[in-house]
Amino acid sequence: MRRLLLLAALLSGGALAQTALPGVLTIRFLDVGQGDAVLITAPEGQSLLYDGGRSEKRMTELLTQYGVRSLAVVAASHGDADHVTGLIPAVQRFKPKFFLNNGIAATTQTFGKLTTAVKTAGTQGLLASDRVINLGSVKVTVLPPPPGMPRGDQNLNSVGLLVEYGAFRALMTGDSETAETQGWLKTYPASKLGPIDVYKSIHHGAKNGDSPAWLRAVRPSNVVIGVGPNNYGHPTSEALALYKSVGAAIYRTDLNGTVTVTVQPGGKYNLSAVKGTGTTPQTRPAAPVPRAPTRVPALPPSSVTYPNCAAVRAAGKAPLLIGQPGYSRKLDRDGDGRACE
Amino acid sequence: MSPEQRNEDPGISYVTVDGIEGKMARVELPDGTTEDWRLASLPTGVKEGDVVRLDVQGGDVDLEVDHEETDRRHALGQRTLDRLNAQTPAGDLDL
Repeated sequence: MRRLLLLAALLSGGALAQTALPGVLTIRFLDVGQGDAVLITAPEGQSLLYDGGRSEKRMTELLTQYGVRSLAVVAASHGDADHVTGLIPAVQRFKPKFFLNNGIAATTQTFGKLTTAVKTAGTQGLLASDRVINLGSVKVTVLPPPPGMPRGDQNLNSVGLLVEYGAFRALMTGDSETAETQGWLKTYPASKLGPIDVYKSIHHGAKNGDSPAWLRAVRPSNVVIGVGPNNYGHPTSEALALYKSVGAAIYRTDLNGTVTVTVQPGGKYNLSAVKGTGTTPQTRPAAPVPRAPTRVPALPPSSVTYPNCAAVRAAGKAPLLIGQPGYSRKLDRDGDGRACE
Repeated sequence: MSPEQRNEDPGISYVTVDGIEGKMARVELPDGTTEDWRLASLPTGVKEGDVVRLDVQGGDVDLEVDHEETDRRHALGQRTLDRLNAQTPAGDLDL
């Protein structure tokens, strides 16, 4: 009975959980808000983190929540901040053996911080190429960007992973767009790309991600969308309709929370989620929309802060113009760049 | 503009365009956090990866792509990444 209770706790996604279960592969599509992060743990205990979401704090919380004790590999599908920021604390904490990447540097401070962390940790860079990473008994095939992708475009140089355990297959392809998926369709036989049991939606369900031709090859049974509150309209109605058209069950980390897949030897699998799996996304209320973008670009915070306009006036600073010390959007209700008018 | 006001202006700072999502741009602010800005609020033709120079003087904001800084950061980042990848092992890996 005790063993059964432990098993139930581990499969439910509870706090115990990233301890490897004998024979069981665990894949968690982590709820990192708007972004992607997928934690893969082999039955023998080796873990691979594919992308890390956009928040160091959130990833740190999740690594603790799921009891992660080590990481063998961190993988950046590409260099965008909503995919790599959370890899920074993961590298700092676990000093993984390898850092899989597409070989194209991003110009952000975030990417620089990540590569500094990798260097400091003594982690070996691993340029994506056609190869298999045997994560214990789990076969992880790297799908490098196909030939001909423009080097200036991070999305089009996303690194994909095909995860196989027995008959089970999962596929993740970053923020790739049509040109890249077309390249993969030319590179690989259809039997390699599909059918897929669990598939990570491309680019959080953006319009420029999944396409009918690609999904006809992938033939996903389940699609998990890594998505949170955003200003981009993700996931789009077009992407949701596409997933529905191929008969896939849809899970969304904004609605379902972290989605956990457990795979038994042989490939029989189960999906569960923190907030339940009964998703009917087309009829669910939309995710909360964050505040509207400012009319003018925000500026670096200054060292001066005012709790309200009364304080601004008391200081003789009203009206505060954008760029001046103490200006903040919360004091500028109409967003015209003049606070406390 | 008074000298006092001039001193209060934050002056020049830089943001980096991390991604462009339709009509929005995700920019990395100087403190390393990201924020969504309207693409139209950035210089025409701005691309992902570009470093944008903001010059704030007297409440006026002037923005332009700093190609030199963009190239400098890209070259520096690429050198670092290339060094990390230089000893990439060949073949399949058993972990």
